Amino acid sequence: MALRWSRITPQIALAPAVGVTLIAFVGAIGWTIFMSFTRSRRLPEYVIDWDNPFRQFKRLFNDAGWQISLQNLIVLAIGSALAIVVGFILAAMIERERRGEDAFRTVFLYPLAVSLIVTGVAWRWILNPQFGIESVLRDFGWESASFNWLSDPATAMYAIIIASIWQSSGFYMALMLAGLKGINTEIWSAARIDGVSLWRVYLEIIIPMMKFTFLTCAILLSLGVIKAFDIVLAMTNGGPGQSTWVPAYYTINAMSAKGNLGLASAAAVLMLLITLVVFLPLVALTAWQQRLARKGDTA
Amino acid sequence: MTDATIMYPRKPKRIKGRSIAVLVFLTMAALFFCVPLYVLIVTSFKEMDQIREGAMFSLPTTWTLEPWRFAWFEACSGLNCSGLRAGFWNSVVILVPSLIASIALSIVTGYALALWDVKWAGPFLFLLFLCAFVPFQIIMYPLIRLTVTMGIYGSITAIAFVHSVLAMPILTLIFRNYYKDIPPELIKAAIMDSGSFWRIFVEIILPMSGNILIVVLILQITSIWNDYLIGVTFGGLGTKPMTVHLANMVTVSTGTISYNVNMAAALLTAIPPLVIYFVLGKFFVQGIAAGAIKG
Repeated sequence: MALRWSRITPQIALAPAVGVTLIAFVGAIGWTIFMSFTRSRRLPEYVIDWDNPFRQFKRLFNDAGWQISLQNLIVLAIGSALAIVVGFILAAMIERERRGEDAFRTVFLYPLAVSLIVTGVAWRWILNPQFGIESVLRDFGWESASFNWLSDPATAMYAIIIASIWQSSGFYMALMLAGLKGINTEIWSAARIDGVSLWRVYLEIIIPMMKFTFLTCAILLSLGVIKAFDIVLAMTNGGPGQSTWVPAYYTINAMSAKGNLGLASAAAVLMLLITLVVFLPLVALTAWQQRLARKGDTA
Repeated sequence: MTDATIMYPRKPKRIKGRSIAVLVFLTMAALFFCVPLYVLIVTSFKEMDQIREGAMFSLPTTWTLEPWRFAWFEACSGLNCSGLRAGFWNSVVILVPSLIASIALSIVTGYALALWDVKWAGPFLFLLFLCAFVPFQIIMYPLIRLTVTMGIYGSITAIAFVHSVLAMPILTLIFRNYYKDIPPELIKAAIMDSGSFWRIFVEIILPMSGNILIVVLILQITSIWNDYLIGVTFGGLGTKPMTVHLANMVTVSTGTISYNVNMAAALLTAIPPLVIYFVLGKFFVQGIAAGAIKG
């Protein structure tokens, strides 16, 4: 009796989580994929449009707003990748120096504790053309200084990138720091004895050794970029015009402002596909790492 | 040998110079990171007359608390001009049930998957791992329909429900990874000792979960407090969290914009997670590492 109970209770305890997974994730994703093949507008229509099942996707790719969103996604990904570089440089310096490690780490990480809405308020204020950095630099004598990035469609994306680098560098620094600490310190003494310069140790030994950490950071960054919504809303609210739209913004906009459920679903499905493209290498890599670890155990 | 004797006297000097350069660089980077916070703070204590003169980095000539008072009691978010405090209390009321529900759901799930012999645990874990990466947009509309059907849409319950759903995969993985290192002998002995699933959980597992609970608690407090999208989507008229109030306050600009009030409002929103961060920073770092690396 006791044994049987011990088998059934865990399964009962798991029931809520299974229910949530099947309804709120699997079911909901299936529902949205289904919707993307229908002619739903404000309200869902539960009939697949067999005559033209891909009409929503066609509309999507003919929409200038979606094209801008995809371009911005790539710009944002490339720009935000700087956060990984900054994170590595900071981590390498902190790890070499050791002095003041806690203080530096605390400072570099605090932006992560702050809401992106607050981040947007702060950076919009810094970039304010009347009273912000522009006027400060002009007072210092740089008359042609121009930091009115947010109101120019050509530069608004860069303002978002700067704010998101500021926000996320500390995160990558923390991951890199953990990676650097896992490296055997004997490498340093070995390199010193051989007279290898510091730069070469980093470029030829440390960075290749940390390729897994770098890959993790790159994948997390890409996933974060796909999800980027709050920062765009807080910095520019998509503007000027549609110049800072990203897929996450497009999807929400299609749903709430345009009230077009079919189109929003198609955009959401494409977001999921982009996520999968980024995500599958991670799964493969994790599986591969686990297999390596298991081999290491048996050997 | 001779090489080594030549190298040794030179080495301390060289490393010292380099380490000063590194420290200077790190300090400058740290100052740059502090600029946005510094600017928020000084602007929030300035009077509008001084702000109009530019010079955003200068200290206030006369320190004033008026912007803070105004932001808290009188600032307008949409048509409602009762300040940020309504949003603050909404956020507090959202935070408590969201924390309890999300942690309760995932700690039990993580415990069951890590320590009990459930045949389908492997595939289920993999499914959770996949769910942890799903973009919110693809499940957003179905969740709206679901909460409408449940009759909770627009309420605090709906926001807490969605927070728990979205956090469940990743939190479960964190708890499961923590518990799977408990030796199975311990659980076997506990079962022999007529311990049931729930008794083992309450008497053995919970008392040893202190560390991971603090990590998860901090992770959840910051992410729930800082959330905007769930609050704005699932919150009703009187249930929107502080971030939504702040966003409305700073984007709706009728007449002259009171920058000092906006900055004070932003700081008021940022203070609770910042306090937690500066007091319990170590756990925060562990939390983001655990939340990031997963699997």
